[in-house]
Amino acid sequence: MSVAAVHGGGIADHIHPEPQGFIRRYVFSLDHKIIGIQYLITGFVFFMLSGLLAETIRTQLLNPNGGFVSPETYNEVYSIHGSAMVWLVVIPLLTGGFGNLVFPVQIGARDVAFPWLNMLSFWIFPVSGLMLFSSFLMGAPTAGWMEYPPVSLQGQAGTSMWCAAIFLVGVSSTMTGLNFLVTILKMRAPGMTFTRMPLFVWGQFATAPLLMIATTALAAALAALFINREFGVPFYDPTKGGSPVMWQHMFWFYSHPAVYIMILPAFGIISEVLPTFARKSIFGYKMIAFSSAAIALLGFMVWAHHMFTSGLAPFLQLPFMILTYIIGVPTGIKIFSWTATLWGGKIHYSTAMLFAIGFVALFTLGGITGIFLAAIPFDLHVHGTYFIVGHIHYVLVGGSMMGIFAGMYYWFPKMSGRLLNETLGKWHFWLFFIGFNGTFIPMHWLGMLGMPREVATYDPQFTFWNRFETFASYLMTFAILIFFVNIIWSIRYGKKAGANPWGARTLEWQVPSPPHYYNFKHVPTVYGLPYDFSQPLPYKGLEDELTDSPPPVAAGAH
Amino acid sequence: MAEQRAQPIGVDRGFWTVTLVLAVLAVASIIFWILFPISKYLPEAIITARQVDTMFRFMAASGSALYVFIAGYLIYFSIAFRAKASDPPDAIGVQIHDNPKLEFWWTLLPAIFVLLLSVISVRIWYEILLEPENGLVIQAIGHQFYFSFRYPNVNGEITDEMHLPLGEPVTLNLTSADVIHGFWVPAMRLKNDTVPGLVTTIRFTPQLAGRYQIICTQFCGVLHSQMHKQVLVIEDRASFDKWYQGWQQRNAHVSNALPAAPGQAISLQGGDAAAGKTLFAQKCTACHKLAPFDQRLVGPGLQGVLHDPAHPNLVNGKPATPENVAGILQNGFTGSLGTMPNASANGLSSQDIANLVAFLNTLKL
Repeated sequence: MSVAAVHGGGIADHIHPEPQGFIRRYVFSLDHKIIGIQYLITGFVFFMLSGLLAETIRTQLLNPNGGFVSPETYNEVYSIHGSAMVWLVVIPLLTGGFGNLVFPVQIGARDVAFPWLNMLSFWIFPVSGLMLFSSFLMGAPTAGWMEYPPVSLQGQAGTSMWCAAIFLVGVSSTMTGLNFLVTILKMRAPGMTFTRMPLFVWGQFATAPLLMIATTALAAALAALFINREFGVPFYDPTKGGSPVMWQHMFWFYSHPAVYIMILPAFGIISEVLPTFARKSIFGYKMIAFSSAAIALLGFMVWAHHMFTSGLAPFLQLPFMILTYIIGVPTGIKIFSWTATLWGGKIHYSTAMLFAIGFVALFTLGGITGIFLAAIPFDLHVHGTYFIVGHIHYVLVGGSMMGIFAGMYYWFPKMSGRLLNETLGKWHFWLFFIGFNGTFIPMHWLGMLGMPREVATYDPQFTFWNRFETFASYLMTFAILIFFVNIIWSIRYGKKAGANPWGARTLEWQVPSPPHYYNFKHVPTVYGLPYDFSQPLPYKGLEDELTDSPPPVAAGAH
Repeated sequence: MAEQRAQPIGVDRGFWTVTLVLAVLAVASIIFWILFPISKYLPEAIITARQVDTMFRFMAASGSALYVFIAGYLIYFSIAFRAKASDPPDAIGVQIHDNPKLEFWWTLLPAIFVLLLSVISVRIWYEILLEPENGLVIQAIGHQFYFSFRYPNVNGEITDEMHLPLGEPVTLNLTSADVIHGFWVPAMRLKNDTVPGLVTTIRFTPQLAGRYQIICTQFCGVLHSQMHKQVLVIEDRASFDKWYQGWQQRNAHVSNALPAAPGQAISLQGGDAAAGKTLFAQKCTACHKLAPFDQRLVGPGLQGVLHDPAHPNLVNGKPATPENVAGILQNGFTGSLGTMPNASANGLSSQDIANLVAFLNTLKL
């Protein structure tokens, strides 16, 4: 074990005793796997609540005159729907949830770098979620998830609560980003070089700096909005010399990187699922890994493409348009590489694989309409319309949520020891896929023909397609209900999974399901990339993991 | 396992057949977007609208062609390389790690496409920016929840439709009296936000007579969904002139004074209750009834607002005096019922405020 010694194997083999008692084990746990599951459960609870809000929106839009809820309530509902889906569902599920659950095991670490910080990050998240939903009690914000001032300065009392809640959940994200970055930089197993890391780890590695850097800009913007509203310091109030456009700059300086926070980990999930079920090495490992880094970097330079109608000087807008086009290149490389991964495979259609292929199909469509929106002349037409609503849902539901579902079907056995039911899973996939496209495809032409977004009532000429969307969205909701039923049923009655039900090759599948508290009896040494199915596994030191040999002796236990 | 690793896999006839089919589909989708009659669904009301549609056609055609290939190969590979029942359970695929040549081309070709797309977009965008600067100069002002227009030589704001003569270049200066609104005319493929404190300019030349919708695209408050206006492009120059002169006469008596700024001292002396009554009907009745306090529309009923023993205080908690009513009219107020816009949002000069207060003072319960 000379390699281990060089890489500080003595430290890595040191473990703490497993805590006893329900509270320290499952509530205030320091174990990254338990914290990951806590994130997933909390995130999916918020997903259900925001999904109900989504159905309220669609039900209101059944009729051109609305009538299901009042315009005030409608505005509150879509504002909280957007905010909750972004900050309480997609970001926490992909970073705090799957990130915590999977990547420390994938790099051969015993835990994340700062377990206490990790616990704190998690516990801030449900608190801020409750704060966000409690804003309904005092009059929720109405200006959408973007809350542009000055209209958000006029908003009801809950708008300040919204600021505080999003600020807090941002603190949680920032700490998670720091924690993950340090873990990936410092705690990889011996031999786990950067070009041997699984692609899901690369996804988290590209996301972590975004979480750390971009979220701080949002925090500043939110603090200023809160102070403006509560103490009257006119940061954004044009009648007193403030600038409402400054909010847009700061908000999008965060929120554009945030769309990569919401998609890079999903790219990582897809890059794990595709090779596993195609029984084939991922195509173009380095290009996929480095393109994540390129996307993360470019993601900081394109924020003003959300502001082409905000009155910026024309020559300032040009670089944002062209840099946004350029992001299409690394994104295209990923899509081509995933497609090529299927070539020559022996594809097994598990539900996880269906969601992964569905992800590639739908995310690509969202990516293409993203290029449309980057073109200033066309954006001047469709900005602020349903075209954008369609685009963002293709990226965030067709992309991120499909990735989350793929991850759930893929890693559920690892966290619970049981497989999700595949029959229910396939019903879930197909109904979701059909319902999703039915809901969001028509939005593109509705927007182009003249339907603005964030409206409680609309022109009667759009009635047919709005009804079509609403019924399709009911189908999608039904599919998600199947998913929840599947989870609840499978936790008790699902087929026993064993350590490695999919024949996958990354490290987390080489240890029992669920893994021990200390992850590995002996920290393994890594000799290569995991993805070549014709080679023996590139790990040493895992011989005892699936045997009854005694666990490592905990420090302090003797 | 070693013998499985040795199997190379080449592109076979099936691959080329599928590629050919996809190429045909891609060409078909390109032809579809070139021929698609966009103007049948949405008129191209200004000259640059056609350029925007051309831009859309180009992106839709190239995007569809690309998508046909990606989706087509996804489906083809998914079917052709599925694990069959006859395969041994531990069968694996052919382990291809990369193909530098292929990866080089699928990086270079999109990069060239990005360059082409940039050139086309910049060109079309400059055509939109470089519309003539002379011509009719109009100011459009966003209010909660309507647009109003200032024309040269017309006093005050026109709150009715916007009229434009066909073929004459228009310079539209956009601003807002309260919050950010979006000024969008779908038939013109043109949009810009009206930002309080900023004036942004769009230029265009109407090329098709007709009546088009102006729609607010930036959430601006509770009635945002209903913030619509019409723009009428008039072919017959004489009838435009008639409309224009009509407004010049109709607004001749309207003060062109700028709205009262917050903090500006307002004298309530010389308020004209009759003028206030007319103004009330124009500006206030959307939200306030002439009825007792409890009968509210958006804001409270204002009958007897200064003489109601049951409500000695205004909604802002201050005593119901003419000065405090003027204060709300000048500075606006946000409370549990919603927002009362301030004087600049409502377009009220200090004389207007004095007139309104005089009128409100005449109302008894």
